[in-house]
Order: sequence, then C-alpha cells, then structure tokens
Amino acid sequence: MNKTILKSASILLLLVGLLIIPRFVESPYALHMMILLFMSVAQGQSWNILGGYAGQHSVGHAAYFGVGAYTTMMLMHSKGIVPWVGVWAGMAAVIVVALIIGSICFRLRGPYFVLASIAVAEIMRLSAINLTPLTNGAEGILATEIPAFKIGATVVTDFVTKVPFYYIGLFLVLLTLGVTYWVQHSKLGYFFQAIREDQDAAHSLGINIALYKNIGLVISAVLTSLAGSFYGIYVGFVDPPTVLGLDVSVQIMLICIIGGMGTIWGPVLGSLILVPLSEALRSNMITDLLVKIGMVNAESKIGIFLKENLSHAHVLLYGILVVLVILFMPDGLMGFVKKLAARRKREAV
Amino acid sequence: MAILEIKNVSKFFGGLAANSDVSFDVHEGTIMGLIGPNGAGKTTLFNCITGYYPPSKGEVIFNGRKLNGLDPDKVCMLGMVRTWQKVRPLAKLSVVDNVMVGALARTGSLKVAREMAMEQIKVVRMEHRTNFLAGGLPIGERKKLEVARALATQPKILLLDEVMGGLNPAESEEIIQLILDIKQRGLTQMVIEHDMKAIMRISDRIVVLTSGEKLTEGSPQEVVSNPDVISAYLGEPHA
Repeated sequence: MNKTILKSASILLLLVGLLIIPRFVESPYALHMMILLFMSVAQGQSWNILGGYAGQHSVGHAAYFGVGAYTTMMLMHSKGIVPWVGVWAGMAAVIVVALIIGSICFRLRGPYFVLASIAVAEIMRLSAINLTPLTNGAEGILATEIPAFKIGATVVTDFVTKVPFYYIGLFLVLLTLGVTYWVQHSKLGYFFQAIREDQDAAHSLGINIALYKNIGLVISAVLTSLAGSFYGIYVGFVDPPTVLGLDVSVQIMLICIIGGMGTIWGPVLGSLILVPLSEALRSNMITDLLVKIGMVNAESKIGIFLKENLSHAHVLLYGILVVLVILFMPDGLMGFVKKLAARRKREAV
Repeated sequence: MAILEIKNVSKFFGGLAANSDVSFDVHEGTIMGLIGPNGAGKTTLFNCITGYYPPSKGEVIFNGRKLNGLDPDKVCMLGMVRTWQKVRPLAKLSVVDNVMVGALARTGSLKVAREMAMEQIKVVRMEHRTNFLAGGLPIGERKKLEVARALATQPKILLLDEVMGGLNPAESEEIIQLILDIKQRGLTQMVIEHDMKAIMRISDRIVVLTSGEKLTEGSPQEVVSNPDVISAYLGEPHA
C-alpha cells in the first residue's frame, strides 16, 4: 500500500515539475531538447502498442508519422487550414491508410509482416516524392508562420516561443502514456498479448485475430500521426526523407527495443537514452568533451577525424547499441531493471 | 442427443488424404475417445472440426449448426474449444492472466474474468501457481493450464489433444481424475490419447482412426477385442 502511494506521489511530483519547467527555464535550447524528448516518447509509446503489446513488429511506422505530418502541413500550406483542424484530417487519413495496410499486411506473420510494413512505408515515401502537385515533391513543404490560436477573440498563444510546443509535446506524452495504461488494463491488452505470445492459441480462445490486430494498428497509427503532425508544425518543414524515410521507422522502433517492449516505461527510458545520445553526437559534444578532458588533442589527426566524422556516426552507434542491448538485455532496459529488482527481492528473502 | 456430428469429413493435402470419409456422432455429456497409430489423422480431424482447416469434403455439425469454413474464434464462441498436443502457454503472462484470456471470450470485465479464471484454476488444482509465469511451469502443469484456459471460455464441448502425452503415471492419473470431474459437471469431451489404459477408463465410446480412415467405433470393450484394431496397432500376425 505504502509503495503505491509513494509511486503515485513521485509521478505527481514529476508531472508538476514538468508543468512548471517553462516558467523557470528560458533557454530555447533546453526547451528544444525537452520537446524532442517528448516527441520521441510519444512516437515510441505509439509503436509500443502494436509492436510491444500485440507483437506486430512494424518497421514502417514512418508511413503513419509522415502521412500525419504531410496532411497537416499540406492543408495549412495550400488551403490555409489551421493545424489544430488539420490534425484531425491527418488522423482520418492515417486511419484509412492503416486499415488498407492492415487488411493486406496482417495476412502475413513474423518476418513477412516486417518486410511488408517496410514496403508500404517506402511506397508512401516514393509517392510523396512523385506526387509533386500535392506534396511539392522532393523539395518538401515549408511553413514558416503558424496562425495564432484563438478562442473567441482571446489569443491563447501565437506560437512565437517554444513554450506552447513544450506543452503540446507534454500533452502528447501524457496522452500516449494514458492510452497505453488503458490498453494494458483492459481486455484489449490481454488479447494483444495473447496474440503476441501465440497467435494460434489466441485464435482458439475466441480472439478474432484480424480484428484485434487492426484495432492495435489503428490506435498505434493515430497516435503516431499526432506525433507526426506535431513534428511538422514544430519544425515548420517536411520532406520525404525526414518524415517518411526508413530511418524514421527504425528510430521509432529502436526507442522501444532499447527501452523495453511491451512495458509502459520502456519507451520513456529508451527516449532518455537515445535523444541525448543523438544530440551529443550531432552537436559534436562528445568530441569536445574528449578534447576538454585531455584524452584527445583537438589538433591531432584523431581529433580532426573525430570532429569531422563522429557527428555522422550516429547510425553506427545506434547499431552498436542495439547489438549490445539484444545480447545483454533482450527485454530492453526495462526488462533488465525488472530482473535486477527480482534478483534483489530473492536475495533479500 | 448428438451435440457434434462429423459427416463424411475428408481432408486432402495435395494428393495425401489425411482424413477420408470419417463419420461419427458425439453425444451430449459423454466422453468420446479418438485413438489410432501415429499419422492416423487424429490431430488433422481436430483441426478440421475446430476451424483451423476447412474440411475438403463433408460436414461438421455442432448443436445443429454447420461449422465448415468458420474461423477458430467463431467456433470457440459457439462453445467448442480445443487444447494443443504441443502445449501453447502464453509464456510471458502469469497463470491467472493466461486463464483470464480464455474467460474474456465471455465477459468484457477484467474483474469478472479474474473470478472466472480463479474458478477454473481451482478446478485444475493450481491455486499455488496463480501468479507464476506460464513459461516457467513444468510440462504437467502446462497441460493443466491448457485445460483451465479452455474451460474458462465456458465451452459446451472440450477437445483434448493428447493431454497426457509426456506425463509421468502420477501426473496422468491426475489428468484422468480431472477429465472425469469435468464429465461430472455435464461437459461433453472428445479426447485424443495414446495411453490405452487411460482411454479405456475414461471413454464412453471410442473411434479408431488409421491411415485417415475410420476403422471402427464402439464401446471400449468392443474396440479392444476387435481384431482389426489389434492388427492396426501391433501388425497382422498378432490379430
């Protein structure tokens, strides 16, 4: 009992902390990092519902991310439709796409499903490149100004600072966490996990496999599309490789593989590792650090090499990280933590 | 009354007839034994009955309703459920969660499902394992878990595929008692089994399959004294 109270209290405290951060932190860079973190958690959590709970390892979630982002951006750019309306159109479009993909790809199991999901995302990417009148092709869509959000005559926010984006991001995190919690504590969660553990057994126990896989996909895809729309509006630019590329799909999946699939906190942990890591690599922070502590001379060959190349090495490092996680903690960080806790409990007894 | 009617069921895989022209009835409240040498088509017949394969020919009629072409989940909802020869526990879920998945076929409420699941866990006497992960159970308990999970779907007929396979005599005896308990509660059962002693004890009637065809059908005494059955199991000279 005490433990539950402690847990609820610490979650509440964390939430309050996150809510008041923008009041004290003014650095746009710090807020930017938090927004990236929120986006990553939302993406990972969305994938987790289908991939982690229902065991359908989609490597094509860029399709839903990109369709959400593109729909919102296209409507804003060409029709002047405000994003908080466009988001709904994005979700509607994604539901249609998801049901088409689901009805085809869910006939396949295991690795064949994975391949089909990659193929579908690639079709989306190539369509975005080639349907130039609609998507502006490879150039992408740039939207520099977002109309102010008004209720009646009062301007709620004009999207000039990063603060409104911070709260939207936080809302997305809470939404995806909430949906995951609800799934885990409902019939859906049981059916999803039964399908993941043994599809034939699940089928024999009265579970309509095709129906529940599609429900999982639609929930997952809609949430991913929300993250996509948010990305588009926040960055103000979408083009095929950044929102529909294969590496977007892989990144979304990695969050869960590293953090722990099929757990509520796995994607949060995964994001806490991946987002700072990718930022440290991108900004050359690691090289600078090595120089600072005197391990590497900035003028030496190694120093120059690192400075020039380490920032492009994030894919390599991701690869190494995945290999390490799969070898040493096959259930992700969350699984590793649980195992340690169980061991401690045993030893205490 | 016949709760399940198998009428001239055949199943072909390419040129191979795994079942050909098999017919028999299962009567309500009884236990039907299904025996036959390896490869006789027993499991294939289960698959045809429960919707995993559509029969190539013939009809499966359950409670007066034709099942051909219905998916396994629909068959389960109509009240027919099977267990697996090669057990299929939901390994990363606890015992009670496994059984709850079955119970959730009949209710949307987790609370009600948990109560239903606990009831079936008691029936198979696994209360002490309630919160164990199913993947960590020994084979005897996995088999019992299969039965509990199937019972939780509130079936009218239970199909058990070699539920004693790989068990030691004490464990087998436990399963025999379990099957008889379930019969006491009025549930119809169809049992595939290799252990002749066990099948003789529990069955009201027995169907013998060999090479996909029905060899004979009758009471346990009739079946074991039938020379065709003996030759199918032990070869011609022993008949």
